[in-house]
Amino acid sequence: MCGIAGIYAYHYASNSIDRNELLAMRDHMVTRGPDGFGLWLDPAERVGFGHRRLAIIDLSDNGLQPMQTDDGSIVVTFNGEIYNYRELRNRLISKGFKFRTQSDTEVLLHLYADRGADMVGDLRGMFAFAIWDAKKRTVLLARDPLGIKPLYYSDDGWTFRFASQVKALLAGGKISRDPDAAGVVGFYLFGSVPEPFTSFRSIRAVPAGTTVLVGRTGPAAPRRYHSIASTYCEGEQGQAPGASPDYIREALKDSVRSHLVADVPVGAFLSAGIDSGALVGLMRDVGAVDIQTITIGFEEFRGKNEDETTIAQEVAALYGTRHTSRVVTRSEFEADLPLIIQAMDQPSIDGVNTWFVSKAARELGLKVAISGLGGDELFGGYPSFRDIPRWVRLFSAPSHIPLLGAMARRLTEPLASHLGLNRKAASMLEFGGSYAGAYLLKRGLYLPWELEQVLDRGTVREGLRRLAPLRLISETIEPRPRSAFARVATLESSLYMRNQLLRDTDWASMAHSLEVRVPLVDSVLLGQMAKLADRPINKASLANAPLGPLPQAVVSRAKTGFTTPVRSWMHSVIKKVERVPRSAAVAETSWAREWSRFIGRQALHPNKSSLPLAQVA
Amino acid sequence: MRPSYLKVLALLTDGAGVVGGIAQYNSDFVTALAQSSHVETVTVLTRFGTAPSRSHAKVTQLAPSRRRVLWSARAVALALRQRFDVVFCGHLNAAPLAYGIAKFSSSRLWLQVHGYEGWTEPNMAVRCATERANLITAVSRYTRQRLLGWANIEPSGIRVLPNTVTKDHTPRVRRPDLIKRYGLEGRKVILTVSRIASAERYKGHDRIITALPDVAARCPEAVYLIVGSGDDVPRLESEALSKGVAERVIFAGHVPAGELPHYFALADVFAMPSTGEGFGIVFLQAARCGVPVIGGNQDGSVDALADGQIGRLIDPSDARQLADALASALDHSQRTPVPSVERFCFENFARHVDDLVGGLN
Repeated sequence: MCGIAGIYAYHYASNSIDRNELLAMRDHMVTRGPDGFGLWLDPAERVGFGHRRLAIIDLSDNGLQPMQTDDGSIVVTFNGEIYNYRELRNRLISKGFKFRTQSDTEVLLHLYADRGADMVGDLRGMFAFAIWDAKKRTVLLARDPLGIKPLYYSDDGWTFRFASQVKALLAGGKISRDPDAAGVVGFYLFGSVPEPFTSFRSIRAVPAGTTVLVGRTGPAAPRRYHSIASTYCEGEQGQAPGASPDYIREALKDSVRSHLVADVPVGAFLSAGIDSGALVGLMRDVGAVDIQTITIGFEEFRGKNEDETTIAQEVAALYGTRHTSRVVTRSEFEADLPLIIQAMDQPSIDGVNTWFVSKAARELGLKVAISGLGGDELFGGYPSFRDIPRWVRLFSAPSHIPLLGAMARRLTEPLASHLGLNRKAASMLEFGGSYAGAYLLKRGLYLPWELEQVLDRGTVREGLRRLAPLRLISETIEPRPRSAFARVATLESSLYMRNQLLRDTDWASMAHSLEVRVPLVDSVLLGQMAKLADRPINKASLANAPLGPLPQAVVSRAKTGFTTPVRSWMHSVIKKVERVPRSAAVAETSWAREWSRFIGRQALHPNKSSLPLAQVA
Repeated sequence: MRPSYLKVLALLTDGAGVVGGIAQYNSDFVTALAQSSHVETVTVLTRFGTAPSRSHAKVTQLAPSRRRVLWSARAVALALRQRFDVVFCGHLNAAPLAYGIAKFSSSRLWLQVHGYEGWTEPNMAVRCATERANLITAVSRYTRQRLLGWANIEPSGIRVLPNTVTKDHTPRVRRPDLIKRYGLEGRKVILTVSRIASAERYKGHDRIITALPDVAARCPEAVYLIVGSGDDVPRLESEALSKGVAERVIFAGHVPAGELPHYFALADVFAMPSTGEGFGIVFLQAARCGVPVIGGNQDGSVDALADGQIGRLIDPSDARQLADALASALDHSQRTPVPSVERFCFENFARHVDDLVGGLN
């Protein structure tokens, strides 16, 4: 887990690359990689890579990057982990490739030499990398199938730049900061900026599961090599193995085992929920010993039902882990908030929880922690798995009547507003009839027609035109899986999990130089579970997967999440910074909307903030 | 499966014989297409111009049609008679026509955007056609960026294909007859070469005239030689008068293209603090003739000056910066060709066209 950056002056008219720019980009990411750094430029200075290293596998200097083949014809800069690197290494050795290190990075070099861009299909892991092919004079960018590791790029028509973070690209000082209305509108619609857009028009995300090849004329359009929708479709077409506990257990154990590959201790986040608890149990089942687990607790919750620390301690005791409960206080939240905003690579309404749990893990000396992220997507843990198919069944027919939905919304919205009901209810007819619309309704922070509450009309019009949110959502479920479960799982995994959960986990953990691994977000596991998508699998399947199943207290506990005290803290900060009149603040019913406006002002329009955030602390 | 050799229909505005950057660009482009290993034939239909400037066996140059309606009708008729694999549209305003033809004939649309015509959002027909092009080439990074500002296009769909500078722009000895004609003996010369049209005041003649008193205070020998003609000359003359520098501003009028290297030889610095250049080929011509160059940092000039490697970039709206740059250039005038200008040679341009058209194959 590291930070990567690079510049390729591909156009004949462009100047040689600027070493200082590359250094500035690289060193903006110092917390992503505090253990080492490297810089490589080709002799003509037309291309250069930078790397910041967090050493996890092969801790020696042999693992330093950028790394090149002996003849210098292939150079790689890589962020992430390849969990099947030993298997790939053996295969390559049998083909005659010579290795000089034990690192997974070198596997990428030789695998590229062997397979070219098709190598990405062989990789199991989380990764974002760039490979320079000196013979072809191309740069290949690749991002893992599910979008765990970030990768952004910018092309000005002469020069191509990439980095693990949007802010690292900007730190180079040569990229336009013109806002992208699509990214801004996307943030207010979803609470995070949907890829491939970013807040800046000149910067794009390499979409998850794609490669981008940059040649003499510039970058080609991203080429997809993996899609969640296709995986579910293939799963539905194949021979169903039957949703036996053994099948699920073995699939999960295989993923967890893979995710423990490291030359440093691997800890785990542990909440009172099923996902993290089951993973800790499975870690023990595959032989992990002396596991360090961490739970976040809040002073306000001590002795209350919302307190996760008590149940987490029970789970820790059950699986025999070395456990730490870390208390976060309001004053710590307020002190850290400016740092959180600074570390937040793209605006997001989430990530605060991961910030604190990562901070706690790092305080304990951990470099790697396992997280239960992805369990709700894989095992249908969200209410959306129930609601979206129901809405589509209900509203599919009337939604085909032109203008009926918009008319119904115009008529009922004032009433809903007057009665203090959820204003989304007014849009049921308008959006509820399709999976894309119902998903927007379910996950939408604001609905398209509400955006003018927070943005000017021009930005809304332009942003919606460029973003085309319903098309963007709809494209994630093409090809269309047969089962409702698979459709919702695909939507949640391709949008909410990818654009919000995984991205937030990346910036919030990397700010503390902590690598977070997510065994429930794994392309091999997804392929195995996709075969069961039309069977009754649920969170209980996960809870029962460890040999010692999770206690009933965990399984039956309603999902409370972390947010309750943080919401109140957020609210208090907003009141201080924005000087919101008390009455207006009270009238605000949705903390997420309130927080999004705050984040929007801080991240998208920092000059409009009425009080320096640092004064909060 | 597309054929490996492409038949290209090039719909252009300015053809051979027309003065200006677009005509030169079109000529280079057609020549480069004809040289491409991916191209079988190029059929060229222009609105303005005379005969082809460079003949090539692959190129069929049709007689121009000045009137837009007739030109459009001929383009449609051509597409009905012959099959083309690629329709190249040399001007944004013709994009709807070219898109229609490409759609009808199931061919690929390649759209070229030169400068200001692509900087602001056009009408819906042009916008829709632009957004459906298979490939767009912009003359500069600036034009590309402006285009991306209004068009909903994947950034990878817009490439940059800059102007070229010809090899006949080389340093010359100062011609005594020209020195005498303009009274330049013992003077330090600031030169601008461009059209002088009221519609193109962005070129920045005014800015130099405004800076001239300040420059003259530091360099008493300074004079400003303006080459070019147009309807805005009288206004600039009165502007020079009002600033008290009329005796330092010399209007040379129109100069044929072949004569320009001799005028560049007269200059100690070439300056055009413009805010509206799509690219600014004249900067390259001056630099190749060995003249130090000053340009604006707000438009396509940044490309012509290669981010400051070929010449000095200043903020055109900052009068002080301009005056300082001019005075400094006159003070340290060194006439050496800048090697990095050579990147804009025709050979590089042609190779890039070959790569781009290969990408459409």
